[in-house]
Amino acid sequence: MSRFLERLGKERLYWDGGTGSLLQAKGLKGGELPERWNLTRPDVLVDVARSYFAAGSDIVNTNTFGANRLHYPDATELESIVRAGVRHVKEGMRQAGRTDGYVALDIGPSGRLLAPMGDLALEDAIALFAEVVRWGADEGADLVLVETMSDSLEAKTAVLAAKENCDLPVCVTCVYDAGGKMLTGGTVASVVPMLEGLRVDALGLNCSLGPVQMLPIAQELAETASMPVICSPNAGLPRSEGGKTVYDLTADEFAEAMRDIAACGVSVLGGCCGTTPEFIRRTVEETREIPMKPIEKKHRTVVTSFSRAVEIGGRPVLVGERINPTGKKRFKQALRDQDIDYILEQGIDQEEAGADILDVNVGLPEIDEVRMMETIVTRLQGVLALPLQLDTTDAAALERGLRVYNGKPMINSVNGKEESLNTVLPLAAKYGGVVVGLTLDETGIPATADGRVAIAEKIIKEAEKYGIPKEDIIIDGLAMTISTDSGSALTTLETIRRVRCELGVQTILGVSNISFGLPQREIINASFFAMALREGLSCGIINPNSTAMMAAFRAYLALSGQDENCESYVAAYADKKDYTFGLAPKTAGVGTAYAAGGNTRAGSPGASAAGTGAPTAGGSTGASGETGTAGGKNAGGKDPLGDAVSFGMETRAAEEARALLAAGEDPLAIVNGRLIPALDAVGRGFEAGTIFLPQLLMSAEAAKAAFEVVKSAIGTGAQEQKGRVILATVKGDIHDIGKNIVKVLLENYGYEVLDLGKDVPPEEIVQTALREKIRLVGLSALMTTTVVSMEETIRQLRREAPDTLVVVGGAVMTQEYADAIGADCYAKDAMDTVRYADRVLGNGDR
Amino acid sequence: MTDNGLLPTEEERKKILKETFRYLGYRRTAPDEEVRRAVSGVLPRLTAAIEPREIHRSFPLQRMQKGIFKIEGMELHSRSLERNLAGCGEVWLMAATIGYAPDRMAARASAAGHVSEAVIVQAAGAALIEWWCGRVNESIRQEALAMGKYLRPRFSPGYGDLPLACQRDFFQVMGVTRYVGITLTESLLMMPSKSVTALIGMAEKDAGCLEEGCEVCPKNKTCVYSRLDVGKAPN
Repeated sequence: MSRFLERLGKERLYWDGGTGSLLQAKGLKGGELPERWNLTRPDVLVDVARSYFAAGSDIVNTNTFGANRLHYPDATELESIVRAGVRHVKEGMRQAGRTDGYVALDIGPSGRLLAPMGDLALEDAIALFAEVVRWGADEGADLVLVETMSDSLEAKTAVLAAKENCDLPVCVTCVYDAGGKMLTGGTVASVVPMLEGLRVDALGLNCSLGPVQMLPIAQELAETASMPVICSPNAGLPRSEGGKTVYDLTADEFAEAMRDIAACGVSVLGGCCGTTPEFIRRTVEETREIPMKPIEKKHRTVVTSFSRAVEIGGRPVLVGERINPTGKKRFKQALRDQDIDYILEQGIDQEEAGADILDVNVGLPEIDEVRMMETIVTRLQGVLALPLQLDTTDAAALERGLRVYNGKPMINSVNGKEESLNTVLPLAAKYGGVVVGLTLDETGIPATADGRVAIAEKIIKEAEKYGIPKEDIIIDGLAMTISTDSGSALTTLETIRRVRCELGVQTILGVSNISFGLPQREIINASFFAMALREGLSCGIINPNSTAMMAAFRAYLALSGQDENCESYVAAYADKKDYTFGLAPKTAGVGTAYAAGGNTRAGSPGASAAGTGAPTAGGSTGASGETGTAGGKNAGGKDPLGDAVSFGMETRAAEEARALLAAGEDPLAIVNGRLIPALDAVGRGFEAGTIFLPQLLMSAEAAKAAFEVVKSAIGTGAQEQKGRVILATVKGDIHDIGKNIVKVLLENYGYEVLDLGKDVPPEEIVQTALREKIRLVGLSALMTTTVVSMEETIRQLRREAPDTLVVVGGAVMTQEYADAIGADCYAKDAMDTVRYADRVLGNGDR
Repeated sequence: MTDNGLLPTEEERKKILKETFRYLGYRRTAPDEEVRRAVSGVLPRLTAAIEPREIHRSFPLQRMQKGIFKIEGMELHSRSLERNLAGCGEVWLMAATIGYAPDRMAARASAAGHVSEAVIVQAAGAALIEWWCGRVNESIRQEALAMGKYLRPRFSPGYGDLPLACQRDFFQVMGVTRYVGITLTESLLMMPSKSVTALIGMAEKDAGCLEEGCEVCPKNKTCVYSRLDVGKAPN
């Protein structure tokens, strides 16, 4: 163990303070790259290090905060800068007469945002930091500091780069605002488990705030983390005075405030912007005598996303099981077609239904699971904040998922087999995660609880060898169907209880396995779920869209004293007059007005949106308001479905379509006689400037909901397919809203859209066009800087697929621009694209 | 610099709502009931979720030759800026963002199949970042007044002939990523997307200028988003 690690957490250590103001005092200009001074002004850097060591800093950073290839494209220069940076700190230490100090290789943020929101690929970010780590470690740095991180995923990439390229200790400090949040949403509760899972050596916060504002966050860090905490505040809060940034604390005031931070359990103290060697010297004097608080292991079982932490062991946790192809034809098709949006919708639906964590299983023999795992994990994290459970038997897919995951995930799963233990545990040890341990091994699933508990013990012991604590293991006692063994539920329940009581480990179950082969499985599932919860089940892997399962869960919480005043229960069921077991529909139930013999519903303002006899659990709460207004506005309307579409009432449109079907109207007549005319009217209104974009889109969404209803009723495409169109936002551009608008409209008008997403390389567009034999490609670009990618894409399409037509659009696009880059058509808006598609794909009659 | 818990006043909220409709294309036409309802389903939620941050500093403005300026280490070539900064000896640089809430909400709405909601989030986000820039601008105006000086209208990279490429130097001079957390893509887009960087000239004399963008923009007659005749919209 390095000498640094022996001291870290045992005695109070001091980091350095700011360097920016010191360098500016020596003549560094704003806009000048400060790291270059390592080569041009070595004397200044040596002196900064010397003065910090002399002031009492034990650790001094190299001047390499922004030293990466994005700022220094020349690798030779960059290497010299990094190496010189290490040497200057060593020399400063020597000149200060210190032999007990440490050189921290400083790594700041890259300045780019990682995908999916940004355009920096994860592996590119890792590579960016990796070379700096290799040079710095080779030159003799004692540790790596990853600092001033506003994005937890970027912090993770820097940690991985450090861990994979050197053996040095790694410390990480992030930037929190006064509310304890990072800019990309991270909190102490979500970031600490992730960094601990990655096995950094110390973690903390720096920059942005002064010591006074940092105190509560530092406190929370010390209470959350099981490792040493670092705190490096600014010299107070910044304010602008006569155009200059000044900080509001003197060295004395700063040091005084640092006393509280030391007392709350922070191990390492330093400074950031505006602090100088004098600030550190005073801080050392003030805090040296304050006794260290011992760092306690917290033993909490926590999984996190980029912004949310879910603790397991308190209120039972729901893991949504719907992102899984097993037994789901539509889901399998979505995986094969790369229909990512369908899978994302499954995630969003489950979050809205009350899931705490989402299981993610995207394994299908005929697809590339490794790639799909990366895509789905990344895209899910782009749209929802629930932690994920990576569910795969493919080690490569698991590692890919773990690598790109922003947070500390659940891993599903390891089991008692040697091969599984040897594959999964090392990955969990490297990336962090809470591992689900299945109680089966080479001999199969033990028939007794004794046998299952023994396997659980074995898994926990093996994990310990990899340094994985037992709080990061969660045991699955395996639910096996009672249809073939009537004692199997009891065995599972006993296993749960004993794992909780005897081993002190959390538990999880795939609940619905219990009822395979039985009719009305929900009845058994719901009762078994309640029984398992009573035995101490910590997590249920269930379908949160199941009314019965959610009912069992809410009832259990109410009955077990975990729902104060039955508040959650009442909130969920107070309005549900017609409660029925079964799957809750995604939207409110079937309207029956037509069936009841009247086309009068829209004219009856008092009509209930839920209709009669509708299983409304989970239904849209906006539905009744919607109907009330529409009824008033549209009294006496002859075509309620058409009206729902033109007013953009999605729930209503689906209801009305259902009601028409129930009344026996021909599905094609609904589409051609009601939906398409209504849509066309809206489209024409948009073109005439009487209807605006939000209305156009709301109508499109309402029509889509009605199309879906008709489609599911007749089992095939309700609409005639007019052709297939590729849509993409070009390389370098990460704004996709315009493309998404066009997509909705094209789909509405009967086109199948192959949506390639945003930041799409020209090659991918060309290859897809060739492979799928596409005649029309739509390209979107928001900025002048990305029109060049559009031009390149068109050039490549012309060369490789000369028969393909290209329509372009986007904020900066004009007819002249479109002509100049050789597009076939400039579409000024989404309707324009639809009209062009109608013309060239042979449907110009409308 | 972080300003948590900063929220628009009632009066400001009204303006933000009006601006949101303007960004959605409603100028002379009043939005209908469904659209109003959709907007009021988004705006309060987004307003509660934003995280305004900003940094601003002033620098001496060096004129190298006509249309060429130097601010610290950053050299700018722009005729439009020349007009904007006429008579100014100093210039403020500011960077402001309202954080990732609009980006996340829009991405989520799109993924859930609600592009209309995503469009509304974009418009509301635009109105909110403008509000925030207005606040920052006002505090700079106060600082300038305290020195007995006056401001010119805000001018951003990408306006007129001031190239977006100057963003890289701007970020370096102001430490934008470090202090406010805004990042730049390779193609010079800012993320969070509801972020603004701007220059504000400061002069000894009051030019009696209008403070905001549309009034001084050469495209204000043709631009569909221009606010100049928004006042005529029947509300």
